[in-house]
Amino acid sequence: MTTEAPRLTIVTGQVTAGRVARRRVISVVAHVLLIGASILMLYPLLWMLSASFRPEAEIFSSNSLIPSSVSLHGYSSGWFGLSRSFDVFFLNSFIVSILCVIGNLAACSLTAFAFARLEFWGRRFWFALMLGTLMLPYQVVLIPQYVLFLKLGWVNSFLPLVVPKYLAVDAFFIFLMVQFFRGIPRELDEAAMMDGCSPWRIYFKIMLPLSLPVMTTAGIFTFIFTWDDFFAPLIYLNDLKTYTVTLALRTFVDSTAESNWSGLFAMSILSLLPIFVLFLFFQRLLIEGIATTGMKR
Amino acid sequence: MTARSIGADAAPYGRAVVPSVWSRLWSANGPGYLFLLPWFIGFFGLTVGPIVTSFYLSFTNFDLLTPAEWVGFDNYARMFTADPKFAQSMRVTLLFVVFSVPLKLAFALSIALLLNRGMRGLPIYRAIFYLPSLLGASVAIAVLWRQLFAGDGVVNDFLAIFGIQGPSWISNPRTSLWTLIALAVWQFGSPMIIFLAGLRQIPVDLYEAASLDGASKWRIFWKVTLPLLTPVVFFNAIIQTIEGFKSFTPAFIISGGTGNPVNSTLFYTLYLYQEAFAFFRMGYASALAWVLLAIVAIFTGVSFLTSRYWVHYDD
Repeated sequence: MTTEAPRLTIVTGQVTAGRVARRRVISVVAHVLLIGASILMLYPLLWMLSASFRPEAEIFSSNSLIPSSVSLHGYSSGWFGLSRSFDVFFLNSFIVSILCVIGNLAACSLTAFAFARLEFWGRRFWFALMLGTLMLPYQVVLIPQYVLFLKLGWVNSFLPLVVPKYLAVDAFFIFLMVQFFRGIPRELDEAAMMDGCSPWRIYFKIMLPLSLPVMTTAGIFTFIFTWDDFFAPLIYLNDLKTYTVTLALRTFVDSTAESNWSGLFAMSILSLLPIFVLFLFFQRLLIEGIATTGMKR
Repeated sequence: MTARSIGADAAPYGRAVVPSVWSRLWSANGPGYLFLLPWFIGFFGLTVGPIVTSFYLSFTNFDLLTPAEWVGFDNYARMFTADPKFAQSMRVTLLFVVFSVPLKLAFALSIALLLNRGMRGLPIYRAIFYLPSLLGASVAIAVLWRQLFAGDGVVNDFLAIFGIQGPSWISNPRTSLWTLIALAVWQFGSPMIIFLAGLRQIPVDLYEAASLDGASKWRIFWKVTLPLLTPVVFFNAIIQTIEGFKSFTPAFIISGGTGNPVNSTLFYTLYLYQEAFAFFRMGYASALAWVLLAIVAIFTGVSFLTSRYWVHYDD
């Protein structure tokens, strides 16, 4: 590129015109690269979408993204592909995810409010410890937690998946909320304090209503992470009727996949659908969430 | 207290003072600790308690049914001297991290640089590149990957166009790990977004000054952009490396929970899962977890120590 530039300017005889032409060439090249990369990125997803609508016989015979005929067979055979139908698994996943969202928002925001706004002895110390748990690999607490939940009789129920969220174990979201709360002008709660507002009322009437963006971001991420989670259900759920969608998909792979690919792909697509819908509606919020937490580490 | 309140008239006096100290303590600290109550229960019950317990368990044989039996350093000794699967899982995980993280970051940074030129359609491109990293951790995507790289899968159909007969990527021990690396690299979207945010923080006048001085684009990248971006590179590298060490689902789904072929996808976390929940060697699995913690801690520590030599912090 750099060697071409002077020649262009000489030919046109005008520096600006040469620059403009060169910029245009670079911009076209960049777009071509990006479009090529986009196709490469999306192709697997589109392929699976198309495969889920194909008749079973045609799944591997062509790689064209447009099926010769659209068949819903995969969706019906997949839905009833295991000894319980997928509405059980979707319902389970929704229950677990929604309960986790509520727990995370409530518990993390209470914690974050204390760290961001209240004065108490040892605040910095506890805050540092909280940040310390950010880097902790889950495996270190895995086995004792399992033993604990086993002794409580919680294994094979949703409790081990849900209850920890009500105890603010996701330090990442606490941190996210602390950062947001710190950005809310202190004058607001100081004025309320003067008027005799209790910390509880300040949290409930001032902080929460002003924190809608961060609460939405945290809620969506919690939903997606829980919906996607495979490890915790794998360990804690043994009975088919308690399975979440991710666990059901894994059972599908192990049992019937070789004979029912379209069913497997159809259920895979359906399992991604809630995440995709959230992505469509809250894309900006998700991207901002990543960008800001990334920058502030 | 009791000694002093022997005097008859001291009692009412003391009683008046003591509550006021307590109430002052309470009003200064009470609300804070009340708000932190759920977190405290979780922190001590689900984090600190389990950490201590798992450290203890790592020195025992424990199968859930019979009480844990103290064996000293046996678990650790066995790991480093007599367990080829431990060595293999460590090798697989290190290979995965060493290849997937730099590749992922390289893609993330190059696409971010392309997008940062004020491209038209930036939001669309950004969304397309971000989507895989949002979906990528799902079981559904691992299922898809298993098919894409199968012997009769899409990748080989594509290669066949050029007359190349591809191997069965998933069931060949020499290529199976690479399908997982490809899956990780495919998810470069979130570090890309962090890079984009970082690039936007670089003051425009620095670029202007550099190009007025006649610096080439290439030189500007190496002398202005990259140095100012090192904090973001550092952050992304740490996050992605830790995520790499913790990666579990794709290897589990693609290998059907076995880590095969020939243990070539036996990720460390997968091995730990097998030891704990397939063979119920909970003591040994706890020791494995502590070694993982040590590796992550050492890696993070060394990164932070070396960071002052290559990470540029202004002001």
